[in-house]
Amino acid sequence: MNRKKIFLGIFLLIFSSINILASSSSNGVENFKLKDYNGKEVELSDFKDSKAIVIMFIATQCPVSNAYNERMAEVYNDYKKKGIAFIGINSNKQEGVDEIKEHAQKNNLGFTILKDEKNIIADKFSATVTPEVYVLNGNFEILYHGRIDDSRNAGDIKSQDLRKALDEILSGKRVSNTKTKAFGCTIKRVS
Amino acid sequence: MKKFFLAIFILTLFFNTASFADEKPKQGSKIIVEKIDKEKLDKLIKERKGKPLFLNLWATWCVPCREEFPSINKLADENKDVDFIGISVDFPEEVDSKIIPFLKTQKANFTSYVNGFEGDEALINALDKNWNGALPATFIFDKSGKKIVFLEGKRSYDEFKKEIEKVKKK
Repeated sequence: MNRKKIFLGIFLLIFSSINILASSSSNGVENFKLKDYNGKEVELSDFKDSKAIVIMFIATQCPVSNAYNERMAEVYNDYKKKGIAFIGINSNKQEGVDEIKEHAQKNNLGFTILKDEKNIIADKFSATVTPEVYVLNGNFEILYHGRIDDSRNAGDIKSQDLRKALDEILSGKRVSNTKTKAFGCTIKRVS
Repeated sequence: MKKFFLAIFILTLFFNTASFADEKPKQGSKIIVEKIDKEKLDKLIKERKGKPLFLNLWATWCVPCREEFPSINKLADENKDVDFIGISVDFPEEVDSKIIPFLKTQKANFTSYVNGFEGDEALINALDKNWNGALPATFIFDKSGKKIVFLEGKRSYDEFKKEIEKVKKK
């Protein structure tokens, strides 16, 4: 009887630890490798020592994403010096590397922008729109997912959600609002 | 004689301009795009009067939304036993400059509202908690106001038709 109880105890312990492992990995992403618009390979793990990694799914032709160009450039310039890494990802099938490069230069987007051919990374993140933002820690766990702020119209912003999340991370706090939503252009996937 | 022709010419010109000026506001006044808020949306969904509701979320800046619009127009013509409603998520101040001109070029035959919610997120969550805000999006409610179908992304005429038939049978 005692042995049975011990076995049951061990079984429950193993089972619960598997569950804990599964749940922690479900909130994280795997390392990935993509090429930037100059053809240089970049890995997510290149940024693992940053205080946080901001992944931004962006587009060249989407008017909503374009409405955020200036705000993306500003948030990058403000937070890169604080140890936050920024990666833009373009997963739209119709937007090629030359177009992405030209768009980035024209709009002063100084952060790394990767081309996600066949939208493999967008699928891994379950990203659906542009712009859509994920903030990861060095273990690639998702700390924040959603919008940059709460208004496509820069004059009507009431909540700077991305900046707020980054400030909380930098001051060692938990992100208070981990998930937000906004309308955007659907990522055009390969069919 | 010359003077006579000139007078006729001027008169014709005057009447043409007058009738054109008269027509313009008439065309504009046919399409009204009101703001929709939570209360209005809930009422719209609940007060079904025996008809299912086909609700399409779109924006003039959304290319796939514009592409699927003609299919919805056609289906609205063919399914008088279903209410077709659009909600544009353009800004309310863009009703005259963007929304109405788009509806005119499409010869839209169903009512469209403009997002009057406090922020995008409130409208997104009011329709589906699992929806991330990707456009276009279509919701079909049955005649009791129960949401049966949620379609994210651009759909074809045939896909819409199939889903409408499914809801009609409920």
